[in-house]
Order: sequence, then C-alpha cells, then structure tokens
Amino acid sequence: MVDGIDLPSPYASTDMCEASFMPRDPRFSSAALLQLPGDPSTGHNQRLLLYNSAGSKDRKMSQPTAGSSTNFSNNSNSFNNVWNNYTVADDRSQLLAWLSPLEPKLRHRDIQEHRIDNVGEWLMHTEEFRSWHGWHGCHGEGEGDNGVLFCYGAPGVGKTFIR
Amino acid sequence: MLTSHDVSSLVVDKLCDQEREQNTAVTCFYFDFAARKEHSVTNMLGSLLKQIVGGMAKVPGEISRAFQEQRMAIGGRGLRLPDIVKMLQTITSSLRTFVCIDALDECAPVHRVKLLDSLRQILEKSPRTRICIIGRPHIRAEVEKRLAGRVISVSVGTSRDDITEYIRVRLGEDGTPDAMDESLAADIMEKIPENVSEMYVGQGHRESFPTLFC
Repeated sequence: MVDGIDLPSPYASTDMCEASFMPRDPRFSSAALLQLPGDPSTGHNQRLLLYNSAGSKDRKMSQPTAGSSTNFSNNSNSFNNVWNNYTVADDRSQLLAWLSPLEPKLRHRDIQEHRIDNVGEWLMHTEEFRSWHGWHGCHGEGEGDNGVLFCYGAPGVGKTFIR
Repeated sequence: MLTSHDVSSLVVDKLCDQEREQNTAVTCFYFDFAARKEHSVTNMLGSLLKQIVGGMAKVPGEISRAFQEQRMAIGGRGLRLPDIVKMLQTITSSLRTFVCIDALDECAPVHRVKLLDSLRQILEKSPRTRICIIGRPHIRAEVEKRLAGRVISVSVGTSRDDITEYIRVRLGEDGTPDAMDESLAADIMEKIPENVSEMYVGQGHRESFPTLFC
C-alpha cells in the first residue's frame, strides 16, 4: 500500500533534505536519517516527512526547538507538526476535487458579470417563489411540502430577440 | 434577453444575500448541452456537495473518512452515486440547503431521470431542502412526475419593466453615441417595450409573457 503513495525516490528526498535543511540544523536530518534504515515499517513515512519538511522550509523547521538536540521524540513531534500543517490545506483541496471535478461557482461568476441588475427580480415577489422559500412565514421556515420550484420559460424566442 | 442563466444566477445571488446571516448553504449548477458528457449525475451532485463542504469550516467526518478510505484503493476510487446521495442526505439534514439547477432540459434525458430520482431521495430525508429548477416547459411534466407532490411551477418570462431596464442599460452602452439624440432614445424607450408587449398580449399574460427565454 505504501508503494501507492506518490513519492520521490529516497535519494531525492535525502538530497533535498541535505541541500535545504541540513546545513541549518544538522541535528534534525541526522536524527531522521538514523531512523530511516532502523525501522522498516515506518521508514517510508519518515522519508515522506523529510520530503515535506524540506519542501516547507519557511515553516517552523528553520527554528530549532529548545532542547531538541538530545531528544528524538521532540524532533519527531516537530516533523509531525509540519506534516500536519502542510497536509490539512492540501488534503482539503484534494478532497474537494475528489467530490467533483466540476466548478459551477466559476460558471456562476461568469454569468453574474453579464447579467443586468434587477432584470427578472419580479420573480422573487411572486407568491410561488415566496411560498417555496418560506419567506414571511408562509410555511414556517420553508417546512412545507413544496421543496421544488420549477421555473419554466418557452423555447424558441430567445437571446436573439432584442440583442 | 432574459435567459435561464439570468434567472438562475439572480435566484442564487438573492438567496446568498438573504441567507448570509443564517446557517444555510446556497449551491448552484448550470447544465450545458455542450458539456453533456462531463455533466454526469455523479459529477453534478458531487459538485453540490463540494460547494456545501467548501463553505464549511470543518469537513464532516463521514466525508473525510470516505475520502481517506478510497485512497487505500489502488489509484484511488471515485464516488458512486448512492454514496453521494447518502452524503447529501446527511449534510442537508443538518444544514438548510438551497439548490439552484439551471437549464435542466440540457441535461441528457438518461441522466435527468437519475438526477430527479436522487433529488427526490434527498428531499425525502431532508424536507427543508429547497430546490429551484429552471428549464424549458417540455420537461415540466417529467419534473412534476418524478418529484410528485413537491413541485410548484411558475412561468418565467420577461416583464415590461425588464425590457425597459434592459434597453436603458444597452442605450447607455451604445458604442456610437453620435448617432443617438435624446428624442430618438426616448422614442426607443417608449416604442420597443410597447410593441414587444403587444406581440404577446394574445397569450393571456398581463404583466409578463413566457418568452425571451433561452
């Protein structure tokens, strides 16, 4: 399963670590490198952490935590913090893209720009619309059975009429 | 001039204005004949879910878990329609949701059947959900049948005020102002709405007429 994760080769991640991170605080990377071969079950994750921490070098990682030089678990926590910070936003956008590749809000913005203000506004004042929406307590807070408002217009005579 | 897109986007914006203070979600979808293939029911309903979740501070646990679980499958796995319907049922039960669907007639008929059935399932679990569908009249019977007992239908046309407003704005944008003087502008403002209205008086509509719609 771990192989399914899209990762650069371990060499690449080590290189990135050494290039951007190790000179500043060798304790972090040496600790992590020690961990790599020692624990095959978590080794892959550690490489993942290294890669991401190197990628976000402007975050916490550039500030060595007090007392972390002798305590590996502190280092590890620090890595995990960065890992979590890094992935929350990333995960969210991935999750949204997974829900659907479509972006109807963009289409909405496009149409909104070309619309003329107030044209069609009378619809909001019709009894049908109010009843559907539940404004002015028609059905409590829209608790009525009529959950669907179907607005229909005739085809054929359209955009080309006055434009 | 008053297109279904205009009606839909107006409804969405008005709902957003009204509901800003409330704990509600306003979602929209614009069907397009040219994008029939991409506009599958799964993608369409998924995009509604995406809009609701995108507006929430925290992703609901059920959705987050499903996302993590599918990542365990090789290459990941897309959402299936029953999963999406279930998620929408849950989320709309706790958060009042408005859905505005434009140009439903441009959705492929085979997808439309599935979509209307899915919407019915959502409404059954979450009756406070409000769905506004905009489309041409030939799908009216289908909408009313599939969503039996839940539909209010209203004819959407362009009122005389709409036409006056439209002409006023368009005259203001005139690219050749030299060719226009005040009396010509006044003439246009008076005659066009009048003539346009007359053409449709015979259709039995006083204030509005079900045309100028595309």
